[in-house]
Amino acid sequence: MAGIGGPIGHWITREMVIAFAVIFSIPFWINAVGLYQYLGVEILIWMIYALGFNLLLGYTGKPSFGHGAYFGIGAYAFGLAQQHVVVNVWIGIGIAILAATLAGAMVAAFISHRRGIYFALMTIAFGQVFWFAAVKWHALTGGEDGLQNIPRPDVFSISLKDNEALFYLAFFFFVLVVIALWRLIHSPFGKVIKAIKQNEMRAGFIGYNVRLFKFMVFTISAGIAGLAGGLFAMAQGSAYPDVMSLHVSGLVVMMTLIGGGFVSFWGPVLGTVIFFLARDILGVLTETWLLWYGLMFIVVVMFKPEGLAGIWQDLTRTRVSKSESVDTSLISSARR
Amino acid sequence: MTVAPLFEARHIHKRFGDQVVLEEINLAFEEGELSGIMGPNGAGKTTCFNVLTGRYKPDRGQVIFAGEPITGLPPRVIAQKGVSRSFQLINLFDEYSALENVLIAVPQVRNRGFNMIRNIEQDTAAIDKAALVLERVGLKGKENEPSDQLSYGDRRALEIAVALATEPRILFLDEPTSGIGIEAMARLAELVQELKRTYTMIIIEHDMKFLFDLADRISVVHWGQVIAEGTPDELRANKWVKSSNLGKLV
Amino acid sequence: MDFILNLLPYIVNGLSLGLLFTLIALGFMLIIGVMELINLAHGSLFALGAYLAMVVISPHVPWLGAFGTWYLGLPIVLRYVLAVVMAPALVAVVGMVLEVCMRPTYGKDPLYGLLLTFGAALVLEEAIRVVWGSAEQMLQVPQNLMGPFMLGGMIYSKYQFFASAFAIVIILLVWLFLERTPYGAIIKAGAHDSEMVRALGINLTRLRLFVFGFGTALAAIAGIIMSPIWGLRPHVGVDAVIPAFLIITLGGVGSFFGAVVAGILVGLAVGITAGFASEWSLLSMYLLLIAVVTVRARGLFGKKSILEA
Repeated sequence: MAGIGGPIGHWITREMVIAFAVIFSIPFWINAVGLYQYLGVEILIWMIYALGFNLLLGYTGKPSFGHGAYFGIGAYAFGLAQQHVVVNVWIGIGIAILAATLAGAMVAAFISHRRGIYFALMTIAFGQVFWFAAVKWHALTGGEDGLQNIPRPDVFSISLKDNEALFYLAFFFFVLVVIALWRLIHSPFGKVIKAIKQNEMRAGFIGYNVRLFKFMVFTISAGIAGLAGGLFAMAQGSAYPDVMSLHVSGLVVMMTLIGGGFVSFWGPVLGTVIFFLARDILGVLTETWLLWYGLMFIVVVMFKPEGLAGIWQDLTRTRVSKSESVDTSLISSARR
Repeated sequence: MTVAPLFEARHIHKRFGDQVVLEEINLAFEEGELSGIMGPNGAGKTTCFNVLTGRYKPDRGQVIFAGEPITGLPPRVIAQKGVSRSFQLINLFDEYSALENVLIAVPQVRNRGFNMIRNIEQDTAAIDKAALVLERVGLKGKENEPSDQLSYGDRRALEIAVALATEPRILFLDEPTSGIGIEAMARLAELVQELKRTYTMIIIEHDMKFLFDLADRISVVHWGQVIAEGTPDELRANKWVKSSNLGKLV
Repeated sequence: MDFILNLLPYIVNGLSLGLLFTLIALGFMLIIGVMELINLAHGSLFALGAYLAMVVISPHVPWLGAFGTWYLGLPIVLRYVLAVVMAPALVAVVGMVLEVCMRPTYGKDPLYGLLLTFGAALVLEEAIRVVWGSAEQMLQVPQNLMGPFMLGGMIYSKYQFFASAFAIVIILLVWLFLERTPYGAIIKAGAHDSEMVRALGINLTRLRLFVFGFGTALAAIAGIIMSPIWGLRPHVGVDAVIPAFLIITLGGVGSFFGAVVAGILVGLAVGITAGFASEWSLLSMYLLLIAVVTVRARGLFGKKSILEA
């Protein structure tokens, strides 16, 4: 966000430190504001999911409407790992990421080079296929009921049964994902995918293997969704097909865009918070909260697709003076 | 001892559906020269250009660059070999600044495209290179301007800058004077004159005067064929050129 | 030979499904033609049509009071006909509202239009869920249309034939409209070249609005007719959009004949799959889509389309 940004080292920015500090403190005051610890865990999980998703949507411009498949695969993989391999967080999460990444790579091989509506519809189609598999493949997935009794293993002898403790494990992964993604965005790779979003054809004519880049972005984004899914399975203690449904896949799309994923790295983070606040605060008032949230999404796409972060940037841009020197210029013009 | 031409097209045929657009096109471009391709609209010169730069695959024939056949290779492979082109319809990265547009094309970045760790905003070598290219095309001082807010003439210059930034062995310019005014035209002519000294260039152009002033050799494409070829002086004396509208302009 | 005979009901099933799919696809295609826009909400409007028809046929709403009781006493055929007329009209209105909402996205990156119709699809599905719940509902159909009948030793469903016949009639009407009326000609011209249409002085905005309404009304009609076959639940919308897209991918955008042929092919594929493994019939659509797009994204008849934007 303009005005308070700026690198501390090459990897961590001032904004990141602030965000980390704020989020780190959540378990201390979340009960006091009338909410509950588990909500913090949920929000972190979906933040990770949305950040990875935004790599595909906001930065590369590809809308995946079936991303729940990878989230779900991560969840199932984690559960199955706990039940059949070994009860261990790191191995479980590792397997979750691996499974989701492989699934993502497989799908990406089919579709990552497709454009526009073909891409979007194929993501829906694959999402539905995975969902169908989750529902029908009883032996592996437990069918419609899903996997039950997924344990929360201890981490370095610390029990995670307490939601607060789980929060900090999720926070650990959140920090990793944020730092890694930030780095990726500001690397040559990140620059290239942004260029691809703007002008795929020209990127090709400059010499980039556009297809391969899109493949990699899709796969990475699926892997991160798998990480979130694994944490989700651990938090919920179960894994079930519903997370792969179109309905739920749509949630991450809406969150990411409303928050401002198109123009800001932190957009998805913001969007996730807004979504859960809407769910838990609005949701108490009315059963139709999701309907209103969806309508808000439509209005945002119509009038301000840059989302909340975009609005924030508009407000702060007028106050910040433009820097003329070449060295710091990339930051102000990059906007994220 | 004669040196083989740097870039060649041999027996190129291309049809779209029923229509034969290019027929038995043979062209040769020497290294270090500025070669022009001209011809009326719809005559096939744009298609020819697109075949040479890999956008279309010819039905028959070969395209050869530095002795190596590149026919039918995807544009990105051809670009990696050192062939670069600009576009007639401005084809930039509109959300990027002028600098970023060029930066994405410089070899320091292009060769490290898959690097997910290096912080590009600290990469002074790459940034300096990009700034230099911008300076060369006359966009010094406008590095941080969002490219979609530059004037048309500046965008034309940026369009060429992006093609230039890849440090190609051969540079194709597709109607670089499209839509620009007289002042920008003079600037462009100067730029091309200056680029001539370092790059082998092939320019497709509508503006006869521009081409005749700058090109070493020109090929005239009409009715899908090369109907005349030679230095500007030779062409001025050419019967066909003289009798056509083209002759009256130069 | 026996094998074929056993498969016959499923083939017939597939044919009638195919005709209905064609109906969905036609509306979808008209919209694409005139506005180069893929309406992901098309399926939800399909579903909405069925739900609204259900309401028109049997409105169990307390505030209708005495009128309600009288109304429910009317012969079901009457109420059914009323539903088939009213529900698509209402859906057309919703469709037109959607078109108006789409306007800020015209001219921008098509990504936004895509996201918007996706959002609309989710909103509509959620609205249906809120109003009618997630449970399976039933659309009442006149008794004499239901039930089995025998033909050549095989048992068929009466409703299937009614549905197919109805679909054929509607398809013919649409064809007549497009080919034989001046307004239809304008739509076809608009599909070809919207700039030209505008240059001819035709109000493009109103044309788009109309086509959107018309196209979505067709989806609604398909939804009403299909609901006894497919069931009625909020999720049915997604399942409807896939065959539509599959058909235009196979048949090419803008080819009426292509849409019909492709529609029947898709219907047959789904119907016959149901013969072997009924659980898989819906999934077969998705797999078919993946296969078709992978192998030939330009369709059997198609040239490169605007869908590849």
